[in-house]
Amino acid sequence: MEDPMAAIRETFFQECEEQLAELESGLIAMENGSAEVETVNAVFRAVHSMKGGAGIFSLDALVRFAHVFETALDKVRSGTLVATPAVLSVFLRAADVLADLVRAARENGKVDEARTSAMVAEFDQINEIAGGVGPAPQSSAAAGGVFEEDPAPDSVARSCWEINYTPRAELYAKANETAILLRELRRLGEIEVRLDTSLLPELSEMDPEGSYLSWHIKLKADCNEADIRHVFEFVEDDCALSITPPDEPQGLIPGTVITGDNGFKFEFFPPPEMEEPEAEPVAQAVPATAPQPQVIQPSMVKSQAVEAIAAKAESAAAAPVTIRVDLDRVDRMIDLVGELVINEAMLSQRVLEAGITRASGVAMALEELEHLTREIQDSVMAIRAQPVRSVFQRMPRLVREVAAQTGKQVRLIMEGENTEVDKTVIERIADPLTHMIRNAIDHGLESTETRIESGKPVEGTVKLTALHRSGRIVLEVSDDGGGINRARVKQKAVENGVIAPDAQLTDDEIDNLIFLPGFSTAAKVSDISGRGVGMDVVRQSVAALGGRISISSRPGQGSIFTLSLPLTLAVLDGMVVSARGHTLIIPLGAIVETLKPRAADVFPLDRDLNVLALRGGYVPMVDVAASLGYCDQFIEPEQSVALLVEGEGGVRAVLLVDAIHGQRQVVIKSLEANYRAVPGIAAATVMGDGRVALILDVDAVVRNARSETGGRTPEALILAEAP
Amino acid sequence: MSTTTVLTVDDSRAMRDMLRHSLAAAGFRVIQAEDGLHGLEMLAEEMPDVIVTDINMPRMDGFGFIEAVRKDETRKALPVLVLTTEVDVEKKNRARAAGATGWIVKPFDPVKLVDAIRRVSA
Amino acid sequence: MSNALELPSILDLVAAPTLHEAFINRRGEALAVDAGGVQRLGAQCLQVLLAARAAWVADGHTLQLENPSEEFFTTLELLGAAPEDLTHDAKYDGKEIAA
Repeated sequence: MEDPMAAIRETFFQECEEQLAELESGLIAMENGSAEVETVNAVFRAVHSMKGGAGIFSLDALVRFAHVFETALDKVRSGTLVATPAVLSVFLRAADVLADLVRAARENGKVDEARTSAMVAEFDQINEIAGGVGPAPQSSAAAGGVFEEDPAPDSVARSCWEINYTPRAELYAKANETAILLRELRRLGEIEVRLDTSLLPELSEMDPEGSYLSWHIKLKADCNEADIRHVFEFVEDDCALSITPPDEPQGLIPGTVITGDNGFKFEFFPPPEMEEPEAEPVAQAVPATAPQPQVIQPSMVKSQAVEAIAAKAESAAAAPVTIRVDLDRVDRMIDLVGELVINEAMLSQRVLEAGITRASGVAMALEELEHLTREIQDSVMAIRAQPVRSVFQRMPRLVREVAAQTGKQVRLIMEGENTEVDKTVIERIADPLTHMIRNAIDHGLESTETRIESGKPVEGTVKLTALHRSGRIVLEVSDDGGGINRARVKQKAVENGVIAPDAQLTDDEIDNLIFLPGFSTAAKVSDISGRGVGMDVVRQSVAALGGRISISSRPGQGSIFTLSLPLTLAVLDGMVVSARGHTLIIPLGAIVETLKPRAADVFPLDRDLNVLALRGGYVPMVDVAASLGYCDQFIEPEQSVALLVEGEGGVRAVLLVDAIHGQRQVVIKSLEANYRAVPGIAAATVMGDGRVALILDVDAVVRNARSETGGRTPEALILAEAP
Repeated sequence: MSTTTVLTVDDSRAMRDMLRHSLAAAGFRVIQAEDGLHGLEMLAEEMPDVIVTDINMPRMDGFGFIEAVRKDETRKALPVLVLTTEVDVEKKNRARAAGATGWIVKPFDPVKLVDAIRRVSA
Repeated sequence: MSNALELPSILDLVAAPTLHEAFINRRGEALAVDAGGVQRLGAQCLQVLLAARAAWVADGHTLQLENPSEEFFTTLELLGAAPEDLTHDAKYDGKEIAA
C-alpha cells in the first residue's frame, strides 16, 4: 500500500515544477515588458502556492525563502515596489534559488545556504526600499517563523473565568453561531450561562437577522486565556468580548494578564466602540508586540466590502488567462503561419522583380508586413515553447543514481533550465541528455582514487547547460574528468576497422570517433552507460531531430558534449543544394562534412556504384539527382560537391550534388499531406522565389545506397575492398 | 448523526490531496473544487455543511467565491473557513468583509483544521 | 382551540426571517409552538422566540411550547434560556416573569 503522504508529497513537487515554470515565464514576461496584470498575479500565486504546500511537509527552508520572495512580489502586485530591471534580475535569480530549494527538498539534497542567505539579503534591501513607500513590511517577523505555533504563555489560571460576550449581526452573517461557541466553551469545563435579553426590541421592530442578545458566562476550567480566545478565534472582530479571570482583583492594570499573548494568528481587533466599560481593565488582549489595532469603523467595513467587490470585478476581468487548446489546432496554426511566411517571401520577391524601389511606400509597407509576419511566427512558435526545466529536473536524480552505482561523488550544476524550446523537441531530448550525463559520470569522471592521485577534488563536477545560440538550443554536458583517452580511442577505431592504422586524425576527429556505431572504450559494457547502447545511438536520435552533437576534450581537464537542436520541428536548418537544376534541401543535422572528392579516392564498386576512400574506410557515393530519378547520367564525382551524411544507424554515405547554395532555415511542408509520399523525399518547402524545394530524406537515400550494394554494409565493403 | 460534508476549494493538487486525506481520516465526507468558479458549480449541485477555501486562486479567488456564496439566501448560514498562507491583516479583513466565517493560516495542522471545522459546523 | 406553529428542523440564520414573519402573522391569539422536529437552534431564532414571547405577554395571549425535541431543549439550555422563557400562560397574566 502506497503511503498517501508520499503520494501527496510527489504531487506537491510536480506542482512545484509547474509553478516554477510559471514563475519563470512570468518573470521573463515582466522583464521584456509583455506582462499583464494577471501575469504578476500568477507569479505571486506560484510562489505563494509553493510556500503553502511546503508548509504541509515542514520544508522550512523552502517556506522561509518563498515567504521572503512572496513578500516582495506582493509589493509589486500592490504597486509599492516597482519591478525595475534590477528588481526583476533579483527575482529571476530568486526563482533559481527557489528551484534549487525545491529540488533539494525533493531529493533531501543539500542547499547552497550561502546563496540562499545572500538572496535573502538582497530581498531585505528591496523590501527596505519598498517599505519607505508602502506599508511597513512584516517580512522580517514573518520570515523568522510566523508559521510556528506560539503557545500563549499565559499561566494557567486556577479556577473560574468570566466571559462577557456580545455578538454583532456580522458574526451571524458570516455563519458563525453563538450556540456553537458556547458548546465549545463547555468542552473546556463547566459553564454557567446567563442570557441578557435587555436589548431585545419588540417583535415587530426587530430585525430577525440582527443581534440583540448578550451572554455572561462563568467558566470553571483549568485552561488559560488562549484556550478561551481560541474558541472565539473567528469571531473576535464581530463581537464585544471580555475575558476576566475572577481570581484576579478587579481593576487590575491591563497587560499583566495578557503580557506576551501574541499567539493569536486569527486575531481581529475589536472596534473600541463595542468594548464594554466593565470589561475594559482586562479585556482586549492586544499583544504588546502586535501591530497597532486596526480600528474598523462600520464605514470602513462598508468600504472594504466595496473594495472587495471591486477587487472581485477586477479579478473576474483579469482571471481567465489560460485556456486549454487542442494541440492539433496549434499545429494547424503553425502550418498556416508557415504558409504566411512563404507567401510574404514570395510577395517580396515579386515586388523586387517588378522593379519597385525599396524606398517606395509599397516596399516599406511590405517590410512592415515582414516584421509582423516574423512576429506572428515567433508568437505562434512560443505557444508550444516550454522551458527545458521539465527535462532538467530529472537529471539530479539520475546523477545521484549513477554516482551511487559507480561509487563516484558527483556534483551536478545546471544552468539555463528556463531556456525554452518547442514542446515536441523537449519530449525528445530527455533520452540523449540522459545518455550524455550517464556517459559523463561513467566514462568522463575518473574514479575517486584516480582523482585523489591527480590532486583533483574528490567530488567530480558535471555541468548541464542550456542556452539559445543562433536560433538553436544548445545543450552542453561538461565534466571535469580525465578527458578522452585518445590513444585508446584511436586504437579501438583501428581495431574495429573504422579508420586505417596510419590515418592522420586531428584530436577533434579522434574525440568524435566515439559517436561511431558500437564504439565504446570501456573495457566491459557497463551497466550504466548501458547494454550496448553507445553514443552512436545518441547521435542518431539527435540527428533525427535535425540536431548535431559533438565533443571536445582536454586531457586531464574534462570533456564537453555539445548538443545543438532546432528550437522547433516545424522549421528546419537545411543546406540548399542544386542537382541537375533542381533545388533540394539537405537537413543540416545529417551532414557530417562537405568534401571535394579527388578522382584518386573514388573506386567503382558495382556498375553504377562508386565508393569513396575516406580516412582509411570506404563510403558509398550517391548521385542525388540520379537516385531521385532526375537523370540517368551519373555525375562525374570530380565535378561535383560531395556531402558526407549520416543516416539512421550511423550509416554514412557521400551525396553528390552540383553545387551548394548555403544554409537556410526552411518551413517544413508535408508532402504527404499536400501531395503524396515520395520515396527519398521527406518533405517540401517553398523558397522565397516561390519555387517548391524538396527536403531530402537522408535516411532513405542512404538505405537505398546500401541496398544497391547488395545489402553489404560499409563494414562489409571495407572487408571486401580494403587494400 | 449524518456525516458532515466539507467542500474544499483549492487550486493546488497537493493541497487538495492533503485536505482530502486528512479530512476523510477525521470522518468527514469531502468534495473538492479547483477554484472559486468550480466551487460555485459544485454548490449548485450539493450543499455541504462546511466550506474550506483558499484565497489565491485563478479564475475566481477566495474573496469572490465567498461573496458569491453569501449572495444566495440559502447559503447565508453555511460556514466558510478560509485556509491560506496569507497572514496579512488587510486580506483577512477582506475575506471577513466578504463573509468568511473563519480564517486558518497554512500550514494547517490537520487536527487544527478538523477542530475548526467542528467549531463552525452545527 | 389555539393556533399551532410547527418549527422547522433547522432554526438557523436562514430560518430566522421566516420564523419572525410566522409569529407576526399569528399575533393576537393564543399559539402553540411545536418544537418536536427541531434539530438545530441558533441564537437568532432564539431571539425571535424570545421576542415573540414578550409580544404574547404584552398582548395577553397564551404561548405554548409543545413537545420540545432533545436538541431544542439542550441548545436552549446551552444558550442560557429555558422553556419558560419562551412560553406564557395568559391565565396568570400579571405575574412577573424573569427575563
